[in-house]
Amino acid sequence: MKFKYNHIIVTLLLSVYLFSSCEDFVEVAAPENKMVRDVVFENEGTAKSAMTGIYNELFRAEFSNGQRNSITILSGFSGDNISNIYDTNIERIQFEQNEIIPDNSGNLSIWSSAYNIIYMTNSLLEGLENSGGISEQVKTQLEGEARFIRAFSYFNLVNLYSDIPLLLTTDYEENQLLSRTPMSEVYEEIINDLLLAEELLGGEFPENERTRVNSYTASALLARVYLYLEDWDNAETFSSKVIEATSNYEILNDPEEVFLANSKEAIWQISPLGGGGLSTHTNEGNLLIVDPVLSFLAGIELEEELAAIFDQEDKRLANWIGYDSGLEVFFAHKYKIRNSNDYPIEEYSMVMRLAEQYLIRAEARAHLGDLPEALQDIDVIRERAGISLISEISPEIGQQALLDIIMLERRKELFTEWGHRWFDLKRTGRAGEVLGSQNPLWEATDIWYPIPSEERMRNPNLSQNEGY
Amino acid sequence: MKNNYSRLKWVALIIIGGILFFLSKTATAATATPLPLQQEISGVVQDQNGLPIPGVTVTVKNTNRGTVTNLDGEYSISAPANGTLVFSYIGFKTVEIPVENNEEISIQLEEDVSALGEVKINAGYYNITQRERTGNISRVTAEEIELQPVVSPIQALQGRMAGVEVTSGGSHPGMAPTIKIRGTNSLREEGNYPLYIIDGVPINSTPVESSSLMSSSGIDPLNNLDVSNIESIEVLKDADATAIYGSRGANGVVLITTKQGRAMGTGLETRIYTGVASVPNRLELLNTEEYLEVRRTAFENDGVEPTESNAFDLLLWDQDRYTDWQDFLFGGTSETTNANITFKGGNENTSFRLGSSYFSQGTVYPGDFDYQKVTGNLNLNHRSKNDKFILALSVNYGVDVNNLVGNVSFNSSISFLPPNAPAIFNEDGSLHWDEWGEAGLDNPFAGYFNRSTTNTNNLISNIGLSYKLLPGLEFKSSLGYTYYNSRELRKQPRRSYNPSDAIYHRSSHLTAIRDSWIIEPQLNYNKSFKDLNLNFLIGATFQENNDFSERFQGDGYASESLIGNIGAAENITNAIRENTEYRYAAIFSRIGLNWDSKYYLNFTGRRDGSSRFGPNNRFANFGAVGTAWIFSEEKFIKKIFPFLSFGKLRGSYGTTGNDQIGDYGYLDAYEATIGPGGLYPTGLANPNYSWEVNKKLEGGLELGIIKDRIRLGTSYYRNRSSNQLVGYPLPHITGFTSVQANLPATVENRGLELEFNSLNIKTESIRWESSINLTIPENELISYPDIEQSSYANTYRVGSPLNISLLYDYTGLDPETGFYSIRDVNDDGSYDYQDRLIVRDQNREYYGGINNNLSFKNFSLQFLWEFVKQDGRLTSFAAGTASNSTELILSELQGESPYQQISQSIASQTAYNRVLNTTFPIRDASYIRLKTLSLSYQFPGNLLKNTGIRNAQFFLHGQNLLTITNYDGMDPERPGFGLGNLRTITGGLEINF
Repeated sequence: MKFKYNHIIVTLLLSVYLFSSCEDFVEVAAPENKMVRDVVFENEGTAKSAMTGIYNELFRAEFSNGQRNSITILSGFSGDNISNIYDTNIERIQFEQNEIIPDNSGNLSIWSSAYNIIYMTNSLLEGLENSGGISEQVKTQLEGEARFIRAFSYFNLVNLYSDIPLLLTTDYEENQLLSRTPMSEVYEEIINDLLLAEELLGGEFPENERTRVNSYTASALLARVYLYLEDWDNAETFSSKVIEATSNYEILNDPEEVFLANSKEAIWQISPLGGGGLSTHTNEGNLLIVDPVLSFLAGIELEEELAAIFDQEDKRLANWIGYDSGLEVFFAHKYKIRNSNDYPIEEYSMVMRLAEQYLIRAEARAHLGDLPEALQDIDVIRERAGISLISEISPEIGQQALLDIIMLERRKELFTEWGHRWFDLKRTGRAGEVLGSQNPLWEATDIWYPIPSEERMRNPNLSQNEGY
Repeated sequence: MKNNYSRLKWVALIIIGGILFFLSKTATAATATPLPLQQEISGVVQDQNGLPIPGVTVTVKNTNRGTVTNLDGEYSISAPANGTLVFSYIGFKTVEIPVENNEEISIQLEEDVSALGEVKINAGYYNITQRERTGNISRVTAEEIELQPVVSPIQALQGRMAGVEVTSGGSHPGMAPTIKIRGTNSLREEGNYPLYIIDGVPINSTPVESSSLMSSSGIDPLNNLDVSNIESIEVLKDADATAIYGSRGANGVVLITTKQGRAMGTGLETRIYTGVASVPNRLELLNTEEYLEVRRTAFENDGVEPTESNAFDLLLWDQDRYTDWQDFLFGGTSETTNANITFKGGNENTSFRLGSSYFSQGTVYPGDFDYQKVTGNLNLNHRSKNDKFILALSVNYGVDVNNLVGNVSFNSSISFLPPNAPAIFNEDGSLHWDEWGEAGLDNPFAGYFNRSTTNTNNLISNIGLSYKLLPGLEFKSSLGYTYYNSRELRKQPRRSYNPSDAIYHRSSHLTAIRDSWIIEPQLNYNKSFKDLNLNFLIGATFQENNDFSERFQGDGYASESLIGNIGAAENITNAIRENTEYRYAAIFSRIGLNWDSKYYLNFTGRRDGSSRFGPNNRFANFGAVGTAWIFSEEKFIKKIFPFLSFGKLRGSYGTTGNDQIGDYGYLDAYEATIGPGGLYPTGLANPNYSWEVNKKLEGGLELGIIKDRIRLGTSYYRNRSSNQLVGYPLPHITGFTSVQANLPATVENRGLELEFNSLNIKTESIRWESSINLTIPENELISYPDIEQSSYANTYRVGSPLNISLLYDYTGLDPETGFYSIRDVNDDGSYDYQDRLIVRDQNREYYGGINNNLSFKNFSLQFLWEFVKQDGRLTSFAAGTASNSTELILSELQGESPYQQISQSIASQTAYNRVLNTTFPIRDASYIRLKTLSLSYQFPGNLLKNTGIRNAQFFLHGQNLLTITNYDGMDPERPGFGLGNLRTITGGLEINF
């Protein structure tokens, strides 16, 4: 019997040993495909990957990807450059008619995807701050890039929604109840981020690709920010910085080449590689080009009125605008590739380019009363387009007339790029005048998109814009 | 850290192994005591029909000596001349026969109806008899499922158990069916899988993902089991039965036990069947003439001039062509073949069963697609001479291959193509594009030449060891290991797509591997103190699961024949590699008490830890109490109700949990972006979330009348699942839309279950047995604080079931337009969720099955009717657009119908889409279905004499032969979903040597 009791004792001891180890037993390491944030920022390689990740995701984030719910398309509808061929998609029609309801899912997509990118930048900035394992040089570089992207996202949001919640951390418990920050404060933060980015970043192109931002990208966005804020001096200063970097950037003679990958006119582009690389065309190309064989896939046309404002000899009309005789519609043809799997990638999605900087400087100088210099800037654009130069046809043009010409050139140059037309109409106070005449449903409050209703359901501290 | 645990694992294994080895040594070393004068006795044991019964236990009374009969019913044993032999076998009356110097004792055993209550039921960690169980456990046995030509064993349960709702996954072989045990407990779809345990080893019940046609419901992880090798499937339902599974028992437990070798001697069993399956139903769609008339009417009604772009079917396409698209799509027949061979044998101490099977099933679709599996299984049992040491080994291995079309959807939209639509294929077999293209359409079979091949391997193995340390005290341990591997390759050649679209030859690769091990040591103690019987069990579980998946795509192959040869791809893209590790540990215990086999009381407890939860919340306790009173044993009851042969009242209450959520939700982590070289955060982390808790209450009454010839079991249950784990909704400004968290929301499932059995006729040559099961379930979301603020606001309603639709109020046909109109409740001019205020329950009202077993001489007939009371939706009654509709709408041509004016306008389509979300199309979709029918003929024993054949039978089996319903759709089991169950007829032969 004694012998058998030993068995019991052994068994019980074994059991006790096993039970006591339960607590530790159920602890598991992170899986191979996940990396804890603290670990990501312990190492330079992975910290850089976190930045690459943000660039990749910009090709997938709805507000920036050039797809159906991007600012390029939806704000394009809000302006007067593009419209829907069919009236089947009610949500896109709402943008076209400036009658967006707060439930509109496209509107929510813009909002949520931009805040998702902002989260990534905040997460990266926090990670860098708490990190010990990264050299100052890399830290500076990454911080500059992240700050730029954060500022870029806020810039777009603030111009679509006016006051918006300003989040600079990743703490969801705190962030979930934030109310809207006044526009001016958001702008302060944007400028703060951009000035820092400009200071932290160098002027070269990392990895020789224009898909990463550098100090000139920051200058270029600052120029735009100051233009919107009507700070003409700064707008001129910062656009000049970019224009003067002639070894980096130049206006290409052939409009066909502007939207090619790493074109010399590009200040910043987004690569389709971020979508995984299975297809290598831009979303703008895929969405906007009407293929005569596959015309049933088309959904978006250029408004005839836009095609009509070009001079017949304008190279942009020939090169950037197509016409489908089957559907009898004009379409944007800045990008030439509708569908591709080919490498190397031929076209990147353009976010910022040099032509806009000339237009910014022209406008700033015109406001500052420096008309001759303004003329020179606007003629850079007109010359490339192959149309008559203002300095030749009306060198004595007055300030207002010149500003009108600049606005017209902006429309012709920047259509179907990042909602420029919509933003221009709004910031110059002409939205009501221009859109109101075409749209019987226009109301003054339509210049701001509604705060998405789902968002307000979840955060009771978010007020709605007027008119919704 | 990781090293520590794998070391611990090995230490544990070695210690357990060492102890068991040592114990087995002492076991075999035990010597026999000297015996009194012995004599050899032999004989044959038969049933009333004269058929030998293998596996009958023959013991010498008052000794621990015994044997079992072999496959011919023969035995031999040595016993003292003055001793007594005891013959016992489940389902038969036990017989005692004094030896009295006889050298041959052959007997016929008599069937014992009431002994069915003695059938041992697998309750997981312990066995229990039907009579003594305090919990709710349903059971089906081999006879009911082995002939069913289904891939997954879960599918075979349909209609056979109260409280168990099984819906088939679809018409492709291998798609995972849905099983719900006592309703939907979790707000999350994916949180409702039960726990699957095969021969003691838990199997991940989540369907395996697939990028082929099966992607909608996934691949059933039980596919590689051989259905005909299953001895029994038990489903544990209430707290008393499931609490021992603690945090994983909330949705019930499905225990699958494979067949064991039992008898002495050797034998060979073979069976083969083959048959065909087809889609049993067609929608009544318009023919070309009717269709074109409807279309012309539409343009007339709208006052719109038909043009080539809006009326290609009228102006471009042949006006006389007719294709029955339903026939084209799913008019084929699929062939099914199954073959089994099993070798079994054994002696007094050791028995084995070694089997293999082959199963193949085609599809009803155009093209060469099929599913094939080969399985092998081994069961080995060894018992030491002194009965102290027992070893049971079970190994199930299966290989299958599923050849399917890739990612083209063979969905119902093809059925609704205009009947005069152009051909799909050219004469040379390639896809036809021209005529489709002229109409601005893509060939609906674009993608047809994509081929998806999925190969899976599945190993499920378990060793159970037990040793009797002292009388009544037993040490047991089971060691299980599983390995599942699925590899899928999808080839997408260019010719699958429109040549004008620049698409490359492309391939998609997906590999998924799941492996797991489990160690469960336990101690079992039984002791009787006069009338009080005590059963005590304590044990522990250590489990680890590793899931791994890897996928990528290749494109730019130079030729079609190279597709899939990844080295020849120009680009490799979208590569994703994921793995998860899940660890689980627990201690569990059960104390069972009974007084005089009349009063029963059980306590079950479990303390669980799971790696799915944050460091602060990994452990929780679960427990249950169950009780039963066998009142038919009371003298006063016997006096008052003499016809009552059995009566039991039982009840249980307890808690179980649910840890079915994604792993690592507590980690603030980065993952690789789809684009190259990037990392990004993919979600918010919450280190504080914990289990869903399910409180189960049950009461039951079981009765047996006329010597148990009629048996009735009823139970009422009420399960409340609270602390619901949900993605707690957050505003998008936080970067994401939700974070994993517990909410004080509560879901209640309650219902009544009824099981009725009756032995209607029992004579020498005729036997007729019926059984009925019925479930009346109810489901309700009892509370959900601030549901309006949550992302579930438009899915669920407090006070209503989870499975509801929120509908518009249908207000009839608009007199102006003739179109359907609905009510704008809040008068805001738009129709959205704020106007969808009508709540409609979509759950089954009741369901069940009626099973009959008849035998007459050598014939036997078994058939099961499944019945369901529920609502469904009428579909495809749109008329006027360029797609076909059902003949119902022809009445509108005459002008008198409840349907809207025939029109092709966008306004009419909008109206149609809205009316689909009203009560207007809701119809009764109840049905009664002849789920299975089998007829078999047993060759008479005298015919087989001297052939070496022990037993031979011929059988015919039918599945889904007949459905009685008023529902107009394809299959009322999946209303609105398109294809469902196939009608299958098979025939075969079973021969045992």
